[in-house]
Amino acid sequence: MPAKNTRNFCIIAHVDHGKTTLSDRLLEHTHTIEQRVMTDQHLDSMDLEKERGITIKSHPVTMTYRAKNGQDYKLNLMDTPGHVDFSYEVSRSLAACEGAVLLIDAAQGVEAQTVANAHLAFAQKLKVIPVINKIDLPSANLELCTRQLEDILSIPAEEAILASGKSGIGIEDILEAVVARVPSPRWTDYPQTRCLVFDSLYDSYRGCIAYVRVFSGTIKAHDMMMLMSNGQKAEVKEVGVFMPKMTKIGSLGAGDVGYIVSSIKNTADVKTGDTITLAARPATDMLPGYKEVRPLVFCGLYPLESDDYEKLKAALGRLRLNDAAFVYASESSLALGFGFRCGFLGLLHMEIIQERIRREHGVDIISTYPSVIYHVIKQGGEEMDVDNPVNMPDPGTILEIKEPTIHASIILPNDSMGDILSLIMEKRGVCEHTDTLDMNRVMLRCVLPLNEILVDFNDRLKSITHGYGSMDYELGDYLTSDLVKMDIMINGDPVDAFACIVHREKAEAKGRQLCEKLAEIIPPQMFKVAIQAAIGGKIIARDNVREMRKDVTAKCYGGDISRKRKLLDKQKEGKKKMKLIGKVSIPPDAFIKVLQNN
Amino acid sequence: MSHLVTEQAKAETGAPLGLYVHVPFCASTCDFCAFYQVKPTARSVDGFLTGIARESEMVAWDRPLTTVFWGGGTPGLLSPGDLRRLGVVVRGIPGGATMQEWTVELAPASVTPERLAALREIGVTRVSLGVQSFQPGLLDALGRQHTREQVDRAYDRIRSAGFASVNLDLMFALPGQTAEEWAADVREAVSRGPDHISTYCLTFEEDTALWVKLSQGRVKLDPEHEARLYEATWAQLGAAGYGQYEVSNFARPGHACRHNLNTWRMHEWVGLGPSAASQQAGCRGANVADLDQWLAHLSRGERVTEDRVALTPALLAEDALIFGLRLNAGVNVVEWRDRCPDAPWLAVEALLTRLVEDGLALREDGTVRLTDRGRLLADSVGAEVMAAFAEEAVAL
Repeated sequence: MPAKNTRNFCIIAHVDHGKTTLSDRLLEHTHTIEQRVMTDQHLDSMDLEKERGITIKSHPVTMTYRAKNGQDYKLNLMDTPGHVDFSYEVSRSLAACEGAVLLIDAAQGVEAQTVANAHLAFAQKLKVIPVINKIDLPSANLELCTRQLEDILSIPAEEAILASGKSGIGIEDILEAVVARVPSPRWTDYPQTRCLVFDSLYDSYRGCIAYVRVFSGTIKAHDMMMLMSNGQKAEVKEVGVFMPKMTKIGSLGAGDVGYIVSSIKNTADVKTGDTITLAARPATDMLPGYKEVRPLVFCGLYPLESDDYEKLKAALGRLRLNDAAFVYASESSLALGFGFRCGFLGLLHMEIIQERIRREHGVDIISTYPSVIYHVIKQGGEEMDVDNPVNMPDPGTILEIKEPTIHASIILPNDSMGDILSLIMEKRGVCEHTDTLDMNRVMLRCVLPLNEILVDFNDRLKSITHGYGSMDYELGDYLTSDLVKMDIMINGDPVDAFACIVHREKAEAKGRQLCEKLAEIIPPQMFKVAIQAAIGGKIIARDNVREMRKDVTAKCYGGDISRKRKLLDKQKEGKKKMKLIGKVSIPPDAFIKVLQNN
Repeated sequence: MSHLVTEQAKAETGAPLGLYVHVPFCASTCDFCAFYQVKPTARSVDGFLTGIARESEMVAWDRPLTTVFWGGGTPGLLSPGDLRRLGVVVRGIPGGATMQEWTVELAPASVTPERLAALREIGVTRVSLGVQSFQPGLLDALGRQHTREQVDRAYDRIRSAGFASVNLDLMFALPGQTAEEWAADVREAVSRGPDHISTYCLTFEEDTALWVKLSQGRVKLDPEHEARLYEATWAQLGAAGYGQYEVSNFARPGHACRHNLNTWRMHEWVGLGPSAASQQAGCRGANVADLDQWLAHLSRGERVTEDRVALTPALLAEDALIFGLRLNAGVNVVEWRDRCPDAPWLAVEALLTRLVEDGLALREDGTVRLTDRGRLLADSVGAEVMAAFAEEAVAL
């Protein structure tokens, strides 16, 4: 099929606006997959993705469609990751397309992610086809949706297609619009082969499988390929397309979406956004937009049972194979034992990795407070990046600390405005714009420190707005802030797992809260135990662990001596399993409970 | 009486030696009891008495007995004749006729003038009466087989028989018992004027009916409540002239139980009878807790077959600390240090210093004793002592 009859497009939407159901209908309609083998949400293969209704891995699929004009078209549908954490991955998936179907839930209207995704699509110069989905819902408000399209996204209302993935309404209209409105593949006449890597997968038998969009030239088995970011060469073992299962074919040509298996084993070597060319006749320019992805959010992950350390290590290794954006290195903590410092693209990415460790690898884990990367400028001008509070230098040596910020778009019902503004203020945010979306909703644009949204921002947003609020964000600048490292000490010894970097004004409240929590959770002790929060040696909050009251055995005569020794021995052995901090034996799960509670 | 005192003074010049006889018979099983006991039959009682005589012959008595204690079970279930028979065995042991203290535990229901006469006759000086409570409801709840009237009748009979020392055993922190009810029980006990009172916080021992109830969640533990009852008891009995000398034991001056004090100070004692423990001649251990097996062992010339431990000076020092700290008089650490210089005293010192710093212990001259707060935590203190000994052992 000639490249001019190929259409590469994706579907973008806010969570729950019906992207996956609609994708399924398109696959059915084009007989790419028969209804009887169709499970709901065919493209989202990971359990977690199904459960959360989000896409983490790309699931491209090639469909063949005979249009009303009588011609056959090859339609490559890219199912893009749908979360801001993966915005770089999203941008690479979008870069592999010429068009995007923008889904809007007819009952919900435009949401924060709708706006963010639409802007990403515009940035990639994609032809956007607006589709108002779920129009058969009783609560559908078409008039509102079309007005929002025009007002917020500047998309002419008459371009909107009305559809329902659930009832199959408008499916053919969408396919026709893709054929008619999405341009045929671009940059096909570039003289050398260029393929954009938009994802990769690790297969234990075949090594790294690169997902590619071919822009120009061809690539086939036995070609010597080259990765343009680093010049690494490898032999192509197999090429193929997604039907939707991987299906081997002779060669991939301009406009095609498919996969390349090569002699490269490690997914970390095949980076998303890289350009694959042929070693014999290499391209001179990479496809635009490549960048190294760096983790933004860090935390320590520790096995709940120290025996599970090796299991956790293996799990992290497996996950890393499939997810080059996830990084880890071993570390140890006084309180939690041996574990790993892990870096993630964002909060969702962190949550997903943790969940997969638990579910797919069966390891119970505890995570420390998430942290961001702080830029620390020391006296004398030396600069350093700190992603673990434990590594924060002595406060006396620090000139200033800069922290990452985000630009957030928050869409919320009018009546939650006051509470959300307080929340933003509490989180040290600044509101820059307020836009009225419709009668009931506004969109706030604000700048927030990234570390303030790490823990409970989204949960609180959802709770204040009864689930109607939504947020999206992009990274902003690093800004100087009055940040301090707060230590939590037990009988004068710092507990590394609780060290955190906080704004000076919030330190005392947070310190008090942590001390209280620990005092409550650490079981009563025989000796007096003080729990203190300190900044650079200055105590800002303190509490005491409850004192043990009574554990004496009443009867203890000649015949009881051996029994009693056994009892005490058991007690002594029990203590060995505890973490000894500041001469205090603390059950490991006490720390875990505090971390879980926050 | 003066004769007895002279004999006591003589015996005290040597190291004490105790004798414990376990009489394993009970009419029924109390809900809280984990001691070995069986239902008495003519055959089993005869077997038991024969066994005690045989076991006594197997012991290498290297010095005179200083104290005797008959516990159980319910030694009072034996007939007057059988009590005499058992008495003969004891009196046949070196020092057995010239003891400082000879205690017999009795249950109220079994106290008859005939039995008391037999006990006096063989030389028993001290009776310990298992009252547990004066509240009928609580007695029922414990599965005890006596009434308040029986307690009073028993006490009067014991007093008229003229024993040198009488103890009443009481229990507290019983399910459903209020602090007021317990204070009333203590008052009742004091009003009868015993020489000694033992108050036992109800303990949940495995293999008891109470344990079953606890594990099924039908009874709840409340350490704070128990701690308050302990403190109230100590104050109440102290004010009534009963000085506390151990976690659960109180006596008028001169009436502390010597047998038990010797045990806690890691002196030696010989245990006879099924399940009885011994600490003698460098070895600690117990007899098998089964009448028939015990007899079978004896017939093969074996005793102290269970849980045998060699008593090293370090182990004795460790236990002298663990069990001595339960005593109000505390432990003379300097003395034990001299007796066992190789024990890990550095670690022990560190622990003792910490106990003193935190108000759990007091130190005067060579003696360390726990404060009231420390005594309530004697188990934790004991575990720390063990840890200190273990720590240094590893370091060495």
